[in-house]
Amino acid sequence: MKKNRSMIIIFLVPAVFCYLSVFFYPSVRTTFMSFYAIEGVADSFSTWDFNGIANYLKLFKTPIFKQAMSNIFLLWFVGGLGVMAVALIFAITLTSGLNGAKFFRSVIYLPNVVSAVAMGTMWINYVFNTNYGILHRIFTALRIESLASVLWTGPGTLFWSMLVAYCFGMVGYHMLIFMASIEQVPRSYHEAAKIEGANIFQRFIHVTLPFLRGCFRTNIVMWTVFTVNFFVWGQLFSPVNLSNDTVAPMNYMYEIVFGASSNSMVARDSGAGASIGVIMMIIVIIAFGLTNFIVKNDDVQL
Amino acid sequence: MFIFIINIVSLQNKQKEKEMKKSKSFFIVLMVLVLMITMPCFAGGEKEDSDSKTVVYWSMWNEAEPQGLVLVQAAEAYEEETGVAVEIVFNGREIRKTLQPALDAGEVVDIFDEDVTRVNGIWADYLLPLDELASQVYPSTDGKSFENSVSSALLDLARQEGKGVLKVIPYQPYAFIVMYNKDLFNEAGISGTPKTWEEFEVVCEKLKAAGITPLTTDDAYMAVFFGYNIARLAGEERCLEMAMNQDFNDPSVLKFGEIYEDFAKKGYISKNAASNIYPAGQIEEIAKGTTAMYLNGTWLPNEIKGSAPDFNWGCFAWPEMDPNSPSGVETNNYGAQSFGINKNSTVAKEAFEFVVYMTTGKWDGILAQESLGVPMGLNSVWPKQTQEAKVVIDNTTNWMTWGGGMEADANITSKIKENFKKLITGALDAESFYAAMNK
Repeated sequence: MKKNRSMIIIFLVPAVFCYLSVFFYPSVRTTFMSFYAIEGVADSFSTWDFNGIANYLKLFKTPIFKQAMSNIFLLWFVGGLGVMAVALIFAITLTSGLNGAKFFRSVIYLPNVVSAVAMGTMWINYVFNTNYGILHRIFTALRIESLASVLWTGPGTLFWSMLVAYCFGMVGYHMLIFMASIEQVPRSYHEAAKIEGANIFQRFIHVTLPFLRGCFRTNIVMWTVFTVNFFVWGQLFSPVNLSNDTVAPMNYMYEIVFGASSNSMVARDSGAGASIGVIMMIIVIIAFGLTNFIVKNDDVQL
Repeated sequence: MFIFIINIVSLQNKQKEKEMKKSKSFFIVLMVLVLMITMPCFAGGEKEDSDSKTVVYWSMWNEAEPQGLVLVQAAEAYEEETGVAVEIVFNGREIRKTLQPALDAGEVVDIFDEDVTRVNGIWADYLLPLDELASQVYPSTDGKSFENSVSSALLDLARQEGKGVLKVIPYQPYAFIVMYNKDLFNEAGISGTPKTWEEFEVVCEKLKAAGITPLTTDDAYMAVFFGYNIARLAGEERCLEMAMNQDFNDPSVLKFGEIYEDFAKKGYISKNAASNIYPAGQIEEIAKGTTAMYLNGTWLPNEIKGSAPDFNWGCFAWPEMDPNSPSGVETNNYGAQSFGINKNSTVAKEAFEFVVYMTTGKWDGILAQESLGVPMGLNSVWPKQTQEAKVVIDNTTNWMTWGGGMEADANITSKIKENFKKLITGALDAESFYAAMNK
């Protein structure tokens, strides 16, 4: 087939143009902005004040930003472990020839499709509510008074409640990625292992798991991207103003770039907001680099 | 357009001239780029009728809100009476984020509105000074000048926020006071309203004895609640100073801890206040009639009228907490939304006339009635739900900033929320609350 260079160029140019204008240019501009003191995000360049890394230094001294970083670290680590473990278990179960696997796959993926706002509202009002939420009702029915009176959205528990609600919805996405990878393992390897007398656990550890290396890398990078972008759930669990339990860097960035909802706080700091954006970008790049380094993509020759 | 390009390309391909390929590719790339960049210019715009004038108003309300519904009707009536069309763009509270880019891009926006502090603060560069227009007489002001027909306290506030210049016209004013359920007060055998802290504690005791939770709050209002208390205990100026310096080393903070540790133990403040995610407190506790009092704005009846249509509302100022403190019941936070007029507007006079139309006379009254709010015009009738607020506002001689300044910084707001919640659940006592606030 003759390669039609002109057609290739025609189809590529719009996509490349969109990429450069919507992704590349804003990234470069934001990085540039992070070294200036800027009030409004659309202010003209003449109003920008160069201040070097002052924005970054100020951020790392700001208690609520430090709290936000600590929150997303916990979310990434604890949430990540939980989500990957549950997703892997579901993926293995559903690829082992279970009846109704397709149905369960759709059901587990469903929370991913539902809007985060709807999910968050449902969790807050129907699961965690102290008077008529499902947790309260179950524990009251079981007569476990100490658990029935727990304030699920109270201080100390609010973060974990939010984490559970968020991770619940994320399992489906990662499960699908695992499933796709598991289904690619050639049956011949499993059959050979079965003949050699390996049981299901040994087969999983020695046959399936090595094939999932690349998949783990993908999942970790995607999970890092999702964590860094954590915003909607933080807003839902703490509407109007920020809380130490629910703040993530994006929530703080939203507050300082556009001005808080509070009537008395109208000061904006888009320079600091840009710095937050750059820090998030660096985190994802580091995560990507590390996972690439640790989990080498050695595609097995078939 | 693309078919045209493809035809050109295939024709040129048939010629098979290699030296043409490089410049041909360049030519194609250039054409596609030019098309993409100029495409938006082909998008249709609306032609303005040069004969009739149109005022474009970007509103902070949503069309379905009572204020939105009234505005639509008022705009239609206004067009019938004056021939000037008012085009309303309902942004909702997102206007806080969407207006600035629109103004910067030179979009036609003649009027915009939001909180009086916010309009003067964020969009100051676009505001037209209004002193001159406000000193004139208009059809709905009964022969007086506009500025003499509306609440002077609010115009003074607008001037204060505008650094001495009247740049916005306030409307939909509010006061931050105790909103309470009169039926529950009657049930508990309480007559009258408390003016001092001792009287307030007696009220709480009676309510508790009748099986009613006296007080609650939402996470969204905790910093303001704290600020109000500190302002009463230490004086409004000291409170503001503490907020600006982020310094809580003051006996009033310990006193706050002692009071609410006690309240939490006695059940005077709802345990749910520690876990309420806005608007749970106002909807599940106040609207449902299990809790009697809520320190909130006079907008509350409007916000929960859907959940509690026959609520019997009363209001009183947050009581005096320390007779020796410089601030008592005469110090309250009040504010308003406000209309600003774009200094680049070509129909500024007509825009101002519409603002006058909404803040005096018939439509001011309708807006207040439908939104259960507070009217601007001195002769307007107050809705039943907020009538008692009028007494409080009339007796407020000292204006306090929102929450005493305690919501001015995200670091303080989140610190207050976390520690106050723990004080309510009993995880912190007064001493440890004081220590945590000073960490």
